[in-house]
Amino acid sequence: MSAANPPSTRTSTHTDCLLRPGNTNCGGCGMSTGLTMLGRALADEDYSLVIPACCGIVTAGAFPTTSYTVPVVASTFASSPAVASGVAAVNELNAKPDEKPKHVICWAGDGGTYDIGIATLSAAAERNENLIYICYDNEIYGNTGGQRSSATPAAAKTTTTPGGKGERKKEIIEIMAAHRIPYAATLSIAHPEDFQDKIHKALNIRGFRFFLVHAPCPTGWKTEPAESIELVSLAVRSGVFPLYEVFDGIDYHINADPDDTDPGEYFGMQKRFSGQDFDLLSVTRNIHERLDRLRRLSGISVDRISEL
Amino acid sequence: MIEIRIHGRGGQGGVTLAKILAASEHCEGNSVQAFGVYAAERSGAPVQAYLRIDDEPIHNPNQIYEPDHLIVLDPTLISPAILSGLKPGGWILLNCEKSPEYYAAQERVATFRIATIDATSIAVKNGLGSKTVPIVNTALAGAAAQLLGMNLESVIEAFDDFGFHGGNIKAAREAWDAVRVQQQAPRPGERHQQVMPHERGPGILDGNTGAAPALRTGQWANQQPVWQNATPPCNFICPAGNDVQGFLAALTEEDVNSALEILLQTSPLPSVCGRVCPGFCMTQCNRSELEGPVNVRALERYAGDHGETQISVTGQRLEKVAVVGAGPAGLSGAYHLARLGYGVTIFEAGSELGGLMRTGIPSYRLPREALDRDIGRIMALGVQAILDTRIDHHRLEQLTHEFDAVLAATGLQKLTSVDLGVDLGSGKGQVMQGIEFLDHARQGSINVEGEEVIVIGGGNTAIDAARSAFRLGASDVRIIYRRTRDEMPAIPEEVDDAIDEGIRIDFLCSPIRMRRDDGKRLLSCQRMELGEPDNSGRRRPIAIPGEEFEIPCGRVILAIGQAADFSLLPHDAVLSKTQPIETDGEAPVYPAGDLLTNEGTVTAAIGCGRDMALMLHERFSGEKLYTDPPAAETVVRADRIRLQHFDRHHRHDENVLPFADRKSSFDEVRQGLEDVVEAKRCLSCGVCNTCDRCVTYCPDGVLKRVGREIVFDYDYCKGCGVCMSECSRAVIYMKAG
Amino acid sequence: MSLAGEANRGARGAVCGIYPITPQTEIVEFVARFPFTKGRVIPVESEHSAMAVCIGAALNGARTFTASSSNGLAYMAENVMVAAFYRLPIVMAAVNRTLGPPWNIWADQGDSLMFRDFAWIQLYCDTNQDVADSAMLAFRIAEDPRVLLPVMVCMDAFIVSHTSMEIELATQDQADRFLPLCDVPHHLDLEHPVTIGGMSFPQETLTHRLELDEAMRRVPAVMEEHRVTFREVFGREVAGDLEAYRTEDADRIFIASGSISITLKDVVDEWREKGEKVGMIRIKLFRPFPGERLRDLCGNVEKIGVLDRNYSAGTGGIFWQEIRAVLQGQGDRLVQGYLTGVGGGDVVPETVREVVRDLSQRSKAAAPIWKGIDQ
Repeated sequence: MSAANPPSTRTSTHTDCLLRPGNTNCGGCGMSTGLTMLGRALADEDYSLVIPACCGIVTAGAFPTTSYTVPVVASTFASSPAVASGVAAVNELNAKPDEKPKHVICWAGDGGTYDIGIATLSAAAERNENLIYICYDNEIYGNTGGQRSSATPAAAKTTTTPGGKGERKKEIIEIMAAHRIPYAATLSIAHPEDFQDKIHKALNIRGFRFFLVHAPCPTGWKTEPAESIELVSLAVRSGVFPLYEVFDGIDYHINADPDDTDPGEYFGMQKRFSGQDFDLLSVTRNIHERLDRLRRLSGISVDRISEL
Repeated sequence: MIEIRIHGRGGQGGVTLAKILAASEHCEGNSVQAFGVYAAERSGAPVQAYLRIDDEPIHNPNQIYEPDHLIVLDPTLISPAILSGLKPGGWILLNCEKSPEYYAAQERVATFRIATIDATSIAVKNGLGSKTVPIVNTALAGAAAQLLGMNLESVIEAFDDFGFHGGNIKAAREAWDAVRVQQQAPRPGERHQQVMPHERGPGILDGNTGAAPALRTGQWANQQPVWQNATPPCNFICPAGNDVQGFLAALTEEDVNSALEILLQTSPLPSVCGRVCPGFCMTQCNRSELEGPVNVRALERYAGDHGETQISVTGQRLEKVAVVGAGPAGLSGAYHLARLGYGVTIFEAGSELGGLMRTGIPSYRLPREALDRDIGRIMALGVQAILDTRIDHHRLEQLTHEFDAVLAATGLQKLTSVDLGVDLGSGKGQVMQGIEFLDHARQGSINVEGEEVIVIGGGNTAIDAARSAFRLGASDVRIIYRRTRDEMPAIPEEVDDAIDEGIRIDFLCSPIRMRRDDGKRLLSCQRMELGEPDNSGRRRPIAIPGEEFEIPCGRVILAIGQAADFSLLPHDAVLSKTQPIETDGEAPVYPAGDLLTNEGTVTAAIGCGRDMALMLHERFSGEKLYTDPPAAETVVRADRIRLQHFDRHHRHDENVLPFADRKSSFDEVRQGLEDVVEAKRCLSCGVCNTCDRCVTYCPDGVLKRVGREIVFDYDYCKGCGVCMSECSRAVIYMKAG
Repeated sequence: MSLAGEANRGARGAVCGIYPITPQTEIVEFVARFPFTKGRVIPVESEHSAMAVCIGAALNGARTFTASSSNGLAYMAENVMVAAFYRLPIVMAAVNRTLGPPWNIWADQGDSLMFRDFAWIQLYCDTNQDVADSAMLAFRIAEDPRVLLPVMVCMDAFIVSHTSMEIELATQDQADRFLPLCDVPHHLDLEHPVTIGGMSFPQETLTHRLELDEAMRRVPAVMEEHRVTFREVFGREVAGDLEAYRTEDADRIFIASGSISITLKDVVDEWREKGEKVGMIRIKLFRPFPGERLRDLCGNVEKIGVLDRNYSAGTGGIFWQEIRAVLQGQGDRLVQGYLTGVGGGDVVPETVREVVRDLSQRSKAAAPIWKGIDQ
């Protein structure tokens, strides 16, 4: 039974250290950096996390210890937005009249978001639950050793697509935008200021807010851990992972327009894209098609872009 | 039955190693069993795997608690828990570069036989895994096969089942050969029993949960980051010894006063150097790889002209020092000695302080006010000056008795000449020395209006003379230089300005003689070509036989160099940068500046003056205030700068006086920067500028900024190297550990 | 349940995740209409999420409840387990409906019984009044700090769930008096940040399971205690773990649960009138299974018949298995299983009379006997 009023175990570093050192994540883990940045962005906020089955919950460590400095609920794989809906509902019921309810944030991998959890996610978005959902996208079932998910990009080799994946990845932001949620955006850990700005923006929006963080997985991507940030930076510059946001599901803004960086630089650093059958040309074409579409949605004439 | 327990870290391939060895033993006809303990392995986390080998069928499904042998993939894993249950006399195969005897000497493993193999190096060499997490299992399989008395070919055969080829096979073969086994028999001992846990732990409803994890993930790392400022190339090359990066960093914060203070630590003449320095630092600037070097010279000028700071005397000395010559070396020496508390008296032949800076550099480049400002700062330290006093050999000897030390900085007093068949005359004739011409020009005591002026030489004096002649109304000014533009010692920007002002330069051209023909003066010249490099590293000009030509000339100005006049020094003096000239019964004489080095720039003279002053100070005080120059390897060159981290910014240039206003005016051409935004272009090569990218990107939050330094928590740092990769300026490097 | 939720308005409020499935719809529709002062009903996209919402809300300190049935329960299963393993006092109305396929909406307890190993307290009700009162009691048991386990209030589809009868409904005032404010001791607390449900090694998990066992063992006593309070507040009895009827001198005892026990009671009366010494026991509390009490009630009775409206393939009725297990080692008695109303068929008095006749004549136990169909 719980002791009566045990002393606070909230650490003094709580304000900016969300994920404590000594966690079990691999070195160079993009998800870890994402959590670290999230912690800094939320340094002044009261919030709790809901994390479904994924590396994000495993890294909490073994009971009774935890790597997290905020309350965390581990949910079943598909359930994080539903569990968070319950948490959020109670926060709302108990918010003081002149205060905003405490925040609840789902932190889920791409498997839990794009695949098994998408129905739950869709429903919570449709109900416009007052919560923030962040998908850290390492494009793989990393926790189970690197199987393909519907977020795995075309041509990537995984343990279940040894010859490279044949299909393209889901456009999750567009799926979320189609729910007409108030805010959806991509985040890159190579763009910490944009990361922080968008999180702060989301804090002042009521309703369902969705983020997609590009999270390199050195183990699954077969990359040098030290190059994680460089990789995602290249992904932004080359248009592989554009930084953009969507307001109310219709109003698109590109935050960092890609330059003429060759996507081949990004792919070349990852052994998951190695092999003679990797068709850089067609992959690049897909990237440019996506970019053009995104630019059109953002109200930028594609002709004008190609002149730039 | 043989039972082997394998201890590794996630990502090293320990579980696969158990399976490889099982498959290999199977190839040899044995019954085998291999499995790993699956928990939440992450790259680096401790992992266990088990291997049983028997000639009977194996049934036992349990983990191995009392192994016959251990294979340890990372020696930092060795702990009482790992050794628990191991049979005395059993072997421990360790992945490490050390010899078995190193470990055998340790009490805790004295009852076991140690074998070692440097599987990590073998894996890295054969490209297995990543640099952070090399996959060592195939190398260890080769080593273990040796210990188990297996045929190596069985291992190679087993590899095929795993799809391991190439580097893996090489690694196994290398390890088979290289594994070393402890020769001395282990001490007899008891087997330590492993106690199964049975304590009741806290429950989900308990309040005492939520503590920090107990994992020391620092033990997972096979490399560690080190934060260490290195040498920026600008600082490395600056002859004045200025902390270029340092003052630019202050300007980045728009702290002009601090920038000046930093400059004044090394050089008392920032307003001068900010105008006349050739900008050695700018030739080395790594920003050149982006859009061109940082305009350091102009920024130094800004700091010198606009900064305000109080320079004070920091020490107190009883010794008195005579400084001979008030050029840059003398002034620099006097400044530093005065700051250290010495009584300093300057002896100057001229009527004003500054030496060639005053007489030899035209005011459109170095206005009098700028020079006076810098000199004023020096004199304010209490330095005495005795003007119009030329020090000759005899007088110098007297000074060595009147003072405790002498700093001799008389510069280059001998002017190099060339015989053009005409007397040089009084200094105002048709052929004259550039230095003299410039002094006359300064004083307004020469008239070249309407003349065709030819300047011979390629240094700054030549350019200064030509541009002064232009300003004094010469009808035509041309420079004759025997090499090409690339070899010209003059400051490139000055050459550009000269050309812009309409001054022609005839390259590969050497004067022979001057003659008069039909009332006109002509200079006959020899066409040259470049041969092999000479001592200065520049290609030597060689005359092309038969290629002579004549050009009309009204006046010839010689600017072909100066040399030191050693006559004032003791006759047998040996000049050295490391020790003074010592004569029995006399105070030591420290030569400084061009007299000593003949480097020919204000900047170098300042540096030399300071060096000799500090050496002098060391002699009297025992206090060594100078640091030896850093090793060339510590200099951070562009290949170590993460250029992709930087946005492109165009260089800010100074405003210049319009051409129309230059004719007949000695107004300053370069008018200085309007602000210090240009300083923000500094990449701060090798010097932490607290950009904190390392802190921002560290996945584990194990970096902290403490003041201006970065501190790592090595207990938790997993050694991933992100901080090193994200350090834009090579301040963080990884060391094996 | 709504009254219970409303009764928590002075604390963290009430939250209910709902998803419709026949024959549970009337319950969630009623909840959705209820004007909570401090409560929210979240209509989600699946039973899995309905329970997930309750989990989240309970962990944030609210009183939580939901309802489901049949395949809906099956779909919910993963989170049903989580609710108990997280020690959350969630109350769920489980309308017992045949698991499909073949698709069938009529009464069968196979759905809720699949959770018998999920650490939920299970109450099987016989009447509408029993359902209403047990739901109230369920919150009191679930939230008792000595228990902190979820409770499933089970009722037969249509027979109970869709039958209109006059019952005594609780008033809000009574609910307020009966239920203390809900306190989930391990609710999310910014001052004591813990991770609920992180990884756990075998040794720590052993502690977790042992604690579940200890909490379960405390349930019968806690339930008795709260039944007393219930009587004080509501002025009527609510059935406890077991209801024995005319077992004192019985030589044959029949055991049933849910609505079959009503029919069984009538048949027992019939046979008693004929002078036959038969008695019956209704099992209301299935988890934890009140084995000791059952053993006491059965005394030395040599013939015991168990009527199961559920079927565990390869063995027989699930209650029968449990009863056999607890009576094991208690002499050489006969415990015969009868599969009655499996798949939703109406269990009429004649079916029950056949069971009584069969057991009376039987001298040796046989495999479970299917009733209502020729074998």
